[in-house]
Amino acid sequence: MVELMVSKADRPIKGKTWPKPANGKRLREYHIYRYDPDQSANPRIDSYFVDLDDCGPMVLDGLLWIKNKVDATLTLRRSCREGICGSCSMNINGLNTLACTKGMDDSKGPIKIYPLPHMPVVKDLVPDLTMFYAQHRAIEPWLKTTSPTPEKEWTQTVPQRAKLDGLYECILCACCSTSCPSYWWNGEKYLGPAALLQAYRWLIDSRDETTQERLDDLEDPFKLFRCHTIMNCAKACPKGLNPAKAIAEIKKMMVERQAA
Amino acid sequence: MREQVITRDVVANPKSVYGDKKASTRQFITQRVSGAINIAFLLLLLFVVVRLAGQDRPDMVAVIGNGWIGLPLAVLLVIVTIHMRNGLRDTLEDYFHGRTYSLYMMLNTMFCIAIAAVGVISILKLVFWG
Repeated sequence: MVELMVSKADRPIKGKTWPKPANGKRLREYHIYRYDPDQSANPRIDSYFVDLDDCGPMVLDGLLWIKNKVDATLTLRRSCREGICGSCSMNINGLNTLACTKGMDDSKGPIKIYPLPHMPVVKDLVPDLTMFYAQHRAIEPWLKTTSPTPEKEWTQTVPQRAKLDGLYECILCACCSTSCPSYWWNGEKYLGPAALLQAYRWLIDSRDETTQERLDDLEDPFKLFRCHTIMNCAKACPKGLNPAKAIAEIKKMMVERQAA
Repeated sequence: MREQVITRDVVANPKSVYGDKKASTRQFITQRVSGAINIAFLLLLLFVVVRLAGQDRPDMVAVIGNGWIGLPLAVLLVIVTIHMRNGLRDTLEDYFHGRTYSLYMMLNTMFCIAIAAVGVISILKLVFWG
């Protein structure tokens, strides 16, 4: 269903301003989106002050400082704190990125933090990624073969392996998909940049023997061709990957198949 | 036809289909090829616009009535309407579903055919009958 405006019940309102830490000399202000679906209240933006002399340099350090020392109800995902797990993806100062690799000194003024855009919110900064993972499942991200399994392993040459560089590094943080306007509009039917990047990773894997079947499954006006090359995905990716290029390569494979 | 209910299982199923599978690649090719041709014809369009700036009707008839200009212009008009139909299809797919989509798509097609027909006939009239 088309949504042209955020409903009144979903509009964030100004929330609580938490007290500044006592004796804090170097402070950084955080404006954080707070929402609890169990309470029938609008989302709100709470303000916090982080003591930089008592906290690490990353945005995630600040969030954990707030959670540990100011407001234990603040809810967020995090795990590895070094850009490997993709758990702490969120919208920081208008850009989807990982809180653990985003430095507080990358920007000036208050740090504004929202959950990943256009996803249902479970609580505060935690989005519901159910559909995102279902889309990843849909591209069947595993090796599919028809030949008898070799005794030792499926091998590939160095150049064949090199083709997977820039693709396998995806950590499924969802920063790209949730920055894509096409995904916002068709979030269920369009597979999104993250899933399509992985789809291409398996399409060009020299060991995979079901390329045509994979292309058959992707051929759809919504699943693949909803990408309009907006390129937000490439800009947002905290790992520096280029999902838009991978999608363009899949489209090229579709065209070549049609022309053959 | 009711709008398809999309659950997690539908999304996770690689065999799920949301539109015309076979037509999707063809439409993509048509869109890109017609777009590329439109860019190639841009110089002709610019030439006609600049050439006719401030001119009156007899000058316009003389320029468009020239077969070397009028006929490519007619071809351009057909390609532009094909491109227009494809572009609007994307928008309609975003907003409408089922029978409503089919109805609007039919109106889109008829509108594009009408634009192309009126334009091409007008140009041919100028080329062959002045």
